[in-house]
Amino acid sequence: MSAQWTGLAAAAATFAGVWAGHAGVRTIEFRAARLWPAASLLAAGGLGLEALAAIAGSAPVAAAAGILGMTLLFDALELSRQFRRVREGRAPANPDNPRHAPYLAARAFAPEGSAAPEGSAAPADPLGPAGPGEGKSE
Amino acid sequence: MSLFGPLMGFAALVLIGAGFVWVIRAEYGLGWRWWYVFTAGGLALVLLSLVLPSPLASGLFGIAGASIVWGSTELKAQADRAKLGWYPSNPRPKPNPPLWQLFSRFRPPQL
Repeated sequence: MSAQWTGLAAAAATFAGVWAGHAGVRTIEFRAARLWPAASLLAAGGLGLEALAAIAGSAPVAAAAGILGMTLLFDALELSRQFRRVREGRAPANPDNPRHAPYLAARAFAPEGSAAPEGSAAPADPLGPAGPGEGKSE
Repeated sequence: MSLFGPLMGFAALVLIGAGFVWVIRAEYGLGWRWWYVFTAGGLALVLLSLVLPSPLASGLFGIAGASIVWGSTELKAQADRAKLGWYPSNPRPKPNPPLWQLFSRFRPPQL
């Protein structure tokens, strides 16, 4: 009996896609001044991989391409959700990023004990809990 | 042209989405100490996928297994989020997992 490699390919693509997306979304959102170019690239890459998945002749390749394509499409949407976490103080803001500057300034001048600009939990440190490696949900 | 690959992608979206939910519930009910139990369960599903004859079933087991392994690495981070008040924190004591004496020396993986 030969092994069925589709499951292993699917597992590797799932883990790699989630891991790369997890780290990549945080890094891109932290550094990029504008999100739409990166979101467009991710979406285009995702659609390309879905097209590849549809025409691939091998089941393991089709599964891996379909899964990686879907994670890229999800990451394109996740960029804006990560930006929302930054606005809410649940992810670190980048003082060198002009997109983050208004939120950092608003927090810096907010009276002690006042609500965060977006109305959610404000961190004690306006730069967030740590570097870009922190502050994203699963 | 085949819809098998895109279907696998959609299944991954659903199963990863389910991961958001079970990680929150597992951390609330059981606690982060159960991480290695979930890692082992996820790896078992991936190994099982190798012997399934159907590519569809094998792919689904592989996705579910990898998603559970990933979720196991998120349990400690979820516990930290609950501690910060971003998620509900369970005031009741949480049960120790099996073989905790053996695994307590290992730090939970956080990726």
